Amino acid sequence: MDNTTTTLEPIIIFLTRSLATLEWAFNKLPGSAVIQRYVKSSHQNDPGRTLLELILVVFAIRTLLQSRTQADRGEKHFIQFSEKEIDELVDEWAPEPLAQPLDDQTQHELDVLPIVAGGNGPKPKLVNTGKTVTNLTSLNFTGLAGNEFFKQRATETLRKYGLGSCGPPGFYGTLDVHMELERDIADFLGTESSIIYSQGFATASSVIPAFCKRGDIIVADRGVNFAIQKGIQISRSTVRWYDHNDMRSLEEVLEAVEKERQKRRQPLTRRFIITEGIFEKDGAMIDLPKLIELKFKHKYRLILDESYSFGTVGRTGRGLTELYNVPASKIDMLIGSIAIGLLSCGGFCAGSEEVINHQRINGLSFVFSASMPALLSVCASEAINTFRNTPSIFTQLQDNVRAARAILDRVDCITIPSHHASPIIHIYIRKSSGNLLHPKSAAVLTPFTPSKPSNYTSIFPRDPSWWECDIETEEQQLQEVVEEALSQGVMITKARRLRGQEMVEPRPSIKLAMTSALTRKETEKAVNVVKAALIKVLRK
Amino acid sequence: MPASSSAPSPMALNPPSASQSTIRKRSSASPMSTATSYLSALPQADASARNSITPPPSTPALSLSSSTTDSAPNTPPDEYQELNGHLNGSGSADEFYFRAKGNGPGGEGDGLLTPLHPPTSEQVFTTVHTEFGHCANESYRFISKHPPGAPFPKHVEQDPPYYILFTTYTSYLILIILGHLRDFVGKRLNPASYKHLIPRDVSIIPLFLHLLFCGEWETAGSSCCRRVTGYRLGAVFAHSCLGIVLIIISQGYAPLNSDFDSFYTRRLKTRMDECFSQPVTGVAGRTIQILDRISPDYNETMILTGSRTRALNISSYNYLGFAQARGGCADAVEEAINRYGVSSCGSRLEGGTNDLHQIGEALVARFVGMEDAIIGSMGFATNSAFIPALVSKGCLVVSDELNHASIRFGVRLSGAHVRMFKHNDMKSLESLLREAISQGQPKTHRPWKKILLIVEGLYSMEGTMVNLPAIVELKKKYKFYIFVDEAHSIGALGQSGRGVCDFFGVNPRSVDILMGTFTKSFGAAGGYIAGSKTLIDHLRVNGHASPYAEAMTPPVLTQIIASMASIMGVAVPGTPLAERASAPQVHPGPAPPNALPTWLSLPPALSSGLEGSFRLRRLAFNSRYLHHGLKKLGFITYGHPSSPIVPLLLFNPGKMCIFHRMMKDRKTPIVVVVVAYPATPLVTGRVRFCVSAAHTKEDIDTILKSCDEIGDTLDLKHGIKRSERWTWEEVARRAVELVETAA
Repeated sequence: MDNTTTTLEPIIIFLTRSLATLEWAFNKLPGSAVIQRYVKSSHQNDPGRTLLELILVVFAIRTLLQSRTQADRGEKHFIQFSEKEIDELVDEWAPEPLAQPLDDQTQHELDVLPIVAGGNGPKPKLVNTGKTVTNLTSLNFTGLAGNEFFKQRATETLRKYGLGSCGPPGFYGTLDVHMELERDIADFLGTESSIIYSQGFATASSVIPAFCKRGDIIVADRGVNFAIQKGIQISRSTVRWYDHNDMRSLEEVLEAVEKERQKRRQPLTRRFIITEGIFEKDGAMIDLPKLIELKFKHKYRLILDESYSFGTVGRTGRGLTELYNVPASKIDMLIGSIAIGLLSCGGFCAGSEEVINHQRINGLSFVFSASMPALLSVCASEAINTFRNTPSIFTQLQDNVRAARAILDRVDCITIPSHHASPIIHIYIRKSSGNLLHPKSAAVLTPFTPSKPSNYTSIFPRDPSWWECDIETEEQQLQEVVEEALSQGVMITKARRLRGQEMVEPRPSIKLAMTSALTRKETEKAVNVVKAALIKVLRK
Repeated sequence: MPASSSAPSPMALNPPSASQSTIRKRSSASPMSTATSYLSALPQADASARNSITPPPSTPALSLSSSTTDSAPNTPPDEYQELNGHLNGSGSADEFYFRAKGNGPGGEGDGLLTPLHPPTSEQVFTTVHTEFGHCANESYRFISKHPPGAPFPKHVEQDPPYYILFTTYTSYLILIILGHLRDFVGKRLNPASYKHLIPRDVSIIPLFLHLLFCGEWETAGSSCCRRVTGYRLGAVFAHSCLGIVLIIISQGYAPLNSDFDSFYTRRLKTRMDECFSQPVTGVAGRTIQILDRISPDYNETMILTGSRTRALNISSYNYLGFAQARGGCADAVEEAINRYGVSSCGSRLEGGTNDLHQIGEALVARFVGMEDAIIGSMGFATNSAFIPALVSKGCLVVSDELNHASIRFGVRLSGAHVRMFKHNDMKSLESLLREAISQGQPKTHRPWKKILLIVEGLYSMEGTMVNLPAIVELKKKYKFYIFVDEAHSIGALGQSGRGVCDFFGVNPRSVDILMGTFTKSFGAAGGYIAGSKTLIDHLRVNGHASPYAEAMTPPVLTQIIASMASIMGVAVPGTPLAERASAPQVHPGPAPPNALPTWLSLPPALSSGLEGSFRLRRLAFNSRYLHHGLKKLGFITYGHPSSPIVPLLLFNPGKMCIFHRMMKDRKTPIVVVVVAYPATPLVTGRVRFCVSAAHTKEDIDTILKSCDEIGDTLDLKHGIKRSERWTWEEVARRAVELVETAA
């Protein structure tokens, strides 16, 4: 006993001494007093508390060091395999082919897809047949495609800027012509500012996630286009749907959302209404003044996609805001398509300085993509000038729309959901009876109860009549109409859809695009061909 | 450009500009005239360069037609009016005509506008020096190729000394603390400037509702105000203070950008805004004109002064130098504008497809060595719109951790499960694959439908190259599909410019999907996906872009076709080459003549493929020279030596701004891209050089010299020991040796 004490003594002395040195060194360190005080106060003679603190520290360090690429071995569903077993599993695993061959119908449609030889316009020549046809397909509403002045301006710009910009806007890809186009669009619409994207389709799906984040509330129309659907999907916000183009339903949903929020006492989040001016899916037009009234009443921000209404309606083509005489500044984010409206390429978003500058950092496809080629930007600016100077192209367009509708409205085997002023005209096949339910749709179909409003958390409306149809048969019939019309010298198209990828399967339709490049007579002649084709196929 | 339409056209310097006297006549692109001018060009160039005194020691003629250097004696005086680079904004003169007479931006001898050595009689250049530099020395060439059998050069991220790391972290800490302090004080002293960060238009209606709820509400209408403002107010607050507050703030507009989310932008990025979104004008070629700007209020607003500065451009993704306003490609584009107009009017499936799309897609497929290809009108959207058609729920996407935002966007839309592996780490990839295949889908343990590995050919921030041979090897065992995003590598790598497959000598068919963009090497816009015919037909119908996105416009398509054909070369009809090329697969081989539009006639230099290979070899030399040069000077660089992307590590956030400014303010201004967090990890802020074939060796010398001097000032040289470093003169002298010997 005594012996052990004497042997241990030097060790103990050494330990005490080194401990004292350590303590002295620790006390010399700046800020050590704070740590000491903290440890003392947290310890409070209770080792449990210190232990807890230690665990917390370890946990924090672990979280910090955890790599993003680490395997989730710790999960409870993880099964431990030996290397041999893994090898066997790897050998066994057989992946599906990367892509399935197309089915016959789709392949056929792809094979007969009209391909324009040379410049596109009201009367292009086709590669497939070698014949010249009347074009009711291409989006050339104002008839500026192939305009000689545009060609000249494009060439001049080419000789000054080359073609590509070779860089994203952040890194030497912002050209002076881009800034001019942004200014032109803002001036034209009467907003503070605007931003241009290099593809129209990528605009909405980039603008929406730039503002709408997780936890924010989006109230959207059930009939919004695919780009908006994808934007909503990627934003991860809470979505509430209202019936297609139904302002009463919108108001109900807004009130319901407010009630729900009050009930749950949720904090203030950003709230958006997202809809389209003229719907890509059916050509319906919204009641903009009512929408704006509701937006202000319920304090929502409005994201309005005017892809099909900008450059097509209004006296000088400013879109719905001009048509309804509403200042564009009342729309928080006004999305438009430069490709469709200004016959060039790209899209834009117009709004206040704050909204636009936010996108310059947060708009994914703005930040990470090369900017638009200079000559396309200049042509878009020229298109705006043309709109200001020659509003007659829009009267001509409206004339043609009226002429077409006058013929089509009298055909009894079809229904037209599009607005009377809409330059795109969708044609549905009129249903013979209401029982033609597609088996696929029937599975998700909820029983029809007109007394109750639709469930706003689901994109599917309670009233199934909106989309109930036999998609395959209708697609086939419409394809026959398209081919019949083409053989008679009029190029039309079905509205192409991504079957299986859309949130709601849109009804098959034929999509006619009017153009002011055709005269009223030519339009009537072409639409009469379409009418004949419709009657011939659908009356069979 | 009024001058160009009214006065003699400045479009003189198309390759077929036959003589000095016709230098201002716009030439048509017919093959005959091209051939004639081709022959007549030599004496012309001779005459124009007669005054040159010092013939450089080199070399055979590269290509033909008149020199476009400083020898345009009959350029009218008004074309010189804007020599000082101070344009009046109207753009009246074509900047192409500025010939510095010693007082141009940067002064004489900076080599920006004119080559330092005037060309000799043998040297004939078809390009404008400001767009595509004149470099005649044939020894400044290299072939971009991975030596067969050599090991894959492992990427080492060299660490800086600890004090650099410490000061970097400290700088960020100071920036963050200062930012919060400014916010704290600013919100109290100047609430107006924080208006966008706080909820606005907060309504008091809910307050009344709340009163109603509490039973304090008796009469309707106007009396409410009296009550609220009156003696009862205090009582109400006493009742349910918390409740009121909650309800008040939940009516109104939440800020678009939350205080916390925008902190980085407001307090860190704004300080550096000088380096970003610099407006430019003109061709983004070898040089670029920046629109000078000033900020009176610490980068809150930027004001354009109206003047311009021409700067050496080492920032644009112009790898092969096809960003040109003159030359065969631009002529082809002009022809296309006249024939097709500028718009394609609609999506690919709805009346927007024309014959150029078909030709372009067939040519792209042939170029990359795949069966078929599809073209999209935007590079970002090519990934984001086509990946969802490739994978869906039940599929696994294995993605490199440094993949581009567009890939992440597309994968997120697809609904597939995503797993990331460590950047370019084949071990991490393999263990991930073993785990993923053996475990199957999360929870259900069902086998994955398919596994898609998405990697980039060349990573845009690191300059690293994917280890493709190893991945192809892994594929044999693990049966995943390979998707290679060649946004930066296509055209820029490989001895025939076909991207990483070409570089490593991997058969492109062993990769399933090759994606790439046209923005970079081809000087155009948009992107493509190439693969088997079945796959591409599937994408033609099911890709998001096909029915909804606008089709690519004819001018852009033509630029792609023309530049791609000039890289490939066009087989001469009647030769065995052409006959062979009509056979299904000759890769990499010349394009058969029938693969191009009938109206397209490229000048002989382009269609022979000589200029294409000349550009490729120049790019390879420049890339390796800059990379090794910077290393020898003592800097830390990342990436593969053959990559045209050369990141130079700066680390400290403060050095980024000052580096950018010092480069811009040099006698020969150089514009650079600095990249900081969040595009890179917090500490490794960097400047990213994008080398181009358009740069001459002298340009790279200029950059190396500038970096050398600035590097000394800013203490950036932490790569190698002082004793091992070379001076920039030594680097410039031994350039060829550097490029060829170094690994």
